[in-house]
Amino acid sequence: MQERLSFYKKRESAVHRLNPLSKLTLALGIVFVSFLSPYYWTPHLLILFAVIPLSLLGKVLREYINAMLRLILPTAGFLFIMQALFQPLEGVELFRFGFLHPTQESVLFAFANATRIVVMVSSFTIFLLTTHPNELMTDLTRRGLPGQFAYVIISTLQIIPQMQAKAQTIIAAQRSRGLDTESTFFKRAGSLIPLVGPLVFGSLVEVEERAIAIEARGFTSTRVKTSLNSIPDTNKDKLIRWSLIVIIIVTLASRIWLS
Amino acid sequence: MSIISENAVYFIIAVAIIVILLVWSYVTGRMRKDFSTTTWVLIPVAIAINIAIGQIVVTLKLPVFLDSIGTVLVAVVAGPWAGALTGTLSNIIWGATIDPNAFPWFPVAFFIGLVSGLMANAGWFKNWWKVAVTGFVVALASAIVSTPIAVYLYGGITASGSSFITAYLLQTGQGVVQAVLSTGFLVEPVDKITTAMLAFAIIQGLSKRFVARLPRPENAEVEGGASQTQLFIAIGVVILLVLFAAFMLGNILGG
Amino acid sequence: MAIVNLQNVTYRYPLTDESVLKNINLQVDEGEFLAVIGPNGSGKSTLCYTLAGFVPHFFKGEISGSVEVAGLESSASTLDEWVMNVGLAFQNPFNQISGAKFTVFEEIAFGLENIGVPREEMKPRVEDAMKLTGITDLADRSPYSLSGGQQQRVALTSILVMQPKVLVLDEPTSQLDPIGTREVFGVIRTLAEKGMTVILAEHKVEWIANFADRVIALHEGQIILDGLPGEVLTSDILLEKGFGISRYTSVARKARAIGLWKNSNLPVTLDEAVDGFKR
Repeated sequence: MQERLSFYKKRESAVHRLNPLSKLTLALGIVFVSFLSPYYWTPHLLILFAVIPLSLLGKVLREYINAMLRLILPTAGFLFIMQALFQPLEGVELFRFGFLHPTQESVLFAFANATRIVVMVSSFTIFLLTTHPNELMTDLTRRGLPGQFAYVIISTLQIIPQMQAKAQTIIAAQRSRGLDTESTFFKRAGSLIPLVGPLVFGSLVEVEERAIAIEARGFTSTRVKTSLNSIPDTNKDKLIRWSLIVIIIVTLASRIWLS
Repeated sequence: MSIISENAVYFIIAVAIIVILLVWSYVTGRMRKDFSTTTWVLIPVAIAINIAIGQIVVTLKLPVFLDSIGTVLVAVVAGPWAGALTGTLSNIIWGATIDPNAFPWFPVAFFIGLVSGLMANAGWFKNWWKVAVTGFVVALASAIVSTPIAVYLYGGITASGSSFITAYLLQTGQGVVQAVLSTGFLVEPVDKITTAMLAFAIIQGLSKRFVARLPRPENAEVEGGASQTQLFIAIGVVILLVLFAAFMLGNILGG
Repeated sequence: MAIVNLQNVTYRYPLTDESVLKNINLQVDEGEFLAVIGPNGSGKSTLCYTLAGFVPHFFKGEISGSVEVAGLESSASTLDEWVMNVGLAFQNPFNQISGAKFTVFEEIAFGLENIGVPREEMKPRVEDAMKLTGITDLADRSPYSLSGGQQQRVALTSILVMQPKVLVLDEPTSQLDPIGTREVFGVIRTLAEKGMTVILAEHKVEWIANFADRVIALHEGQIILDGLPGEVLTSDILLEKGFGISRYTSVARKARAIGLWKNSNLPVTLDEAVDGFKR
């Protein structure tokens, strides 16, 4: 069983060493620019000159390509085909097949749209590959995010694999008792309750004890929290964050004035 | 440009309403009561329930998502804000661990939690047919909120299977907003009414003592009446709601 | 000096009609090791929750009488202050893992972070506590990858690191296998030797006989026996009221009936039984 769920890959790299908030700003910055920029080729250029170099710099190119093939390209490909075929944009008709008559405009539109989705998902993926969830939450907590949020995020990451393992056990157990998970729709729908019931009730009864356990360790203490690990935040980090904010504002302005 | 600015007005109004609600529940101290330690422990469990059930549903190849049962559960027993937070974090964590494509849809999950919590506060989670209505209202909210995301981020056609309906509507000459919204109204009610009913069933199965120690036990109290009759009323209500949805759909497409 | 002082404490959970604790009077001295025995439903856990402040602050319900622990008065203090002074560990080791941390070291530091202990102070405190409970080698493991006994020791360490004045343990070994039980009792022995005030609810009477200074027996929410382990654990009353008793006591009692056990006192542990039969 996986003990926790996350994309994170431990490496020694310039990207890994960045402050988590800088990386988050970077990821969001790339997304904003790709969606807000008035220029057609911005998202494509971002992939070449931001996403790929970042994955190289962070030494996660292989993992990134892997995620690209498994998660990003199928979605983007589906989007591209659907939109190229079905977006009813007026323009130069490329071909006609039955009721389909894609135009040059709809293909261009679909291409830009799909690329933007690729940029968005890629930049989040690289952020997740290079940022340990614990570091991110520690840093955000230090900056004023209530400690309860860190608790929720991290404990969810640890509960999900347990829950999935439990779900698999229950599915296997119910199947061996003849529960139907394969045949007709109504039989499968009827199978839902015996599968969901034990899973849900089992985890809900534990809630109270777990609440007591964390209360006993000062979870609701009104004192100012401290943290075990210190997360470095250098001048370089601050520079990166401020320049990204400037870039986002400039892009927004150009969007408003140029379109 | 004029359409965009008109939509921007709607957006600002929606955000303003949320902020007012938020400030109000903060000032009245209700928020602090809702976010008890038990609530903070319940939220990760609810998120895990969302994801685990979402995956079981995939295993069973059912034509619904059912990935917000935990969100509705928290919204009912711990209030709209706890529900909204559960929904939002569910999507963020789904995005961060399983599929980054889930990220942009977090506002939808936020509203599923918020709306089901508000409905429950108003007493619309106390028997089968009221729960069905709640599910329907949640479905409307979900369809409305997902429309701008689908239109602005994905150009209308998203990566989900229901996009074939949108694509068909686009081909028949509908505008992109109408096509996406109609798809949402067609697809969402079945999913969200089932979700609400399952959440109701789960809450009914919990021990009274457990529910009593949660922040809003009064939302989960069952109103009298034989459950059999209730169920029939519920089915009747669902049929009415579907007819209503069909009527609305006709209007949107006609207009 | 009494560090725990309960006067006429009666308590009822919300939505219930019957009191779980009835007129409890209990004083525990500083440094004393008190064991609490009682069948299921006798109010052991509720007593532990009361001593740790969770009754009534977490569970609500109706309480009367006065509860004073480590200088705090229940009605005049918050749970927040209470957990700074009284530590609580309970049965299920798995549920005591916070979930907020990825390694054992961080898990133990969680409580210190919450109560705002400075970073420089935190590391040595965690290290000392881990040394005390013998889990130093687990520091970098994930808390979820551990055995039940290891998890329970992590849970104990996480509480000890907060340096409570009183430690309340509610059947900490009831869900552990024999190896885990031995590990956890090893830690409890160390604590007892260090002079910590410990209140332990437990039904494994042979272990109690080994460390406890004093034992109280709880039955239907009332204290029916209070005295030295040798007296309480071998009392005939336990048998009448359906308490679990040591098998060595049972054997010696049968032996006494047919004249094979000559001592006036009945044994609780194997050693006592062997000694008694040797004479």
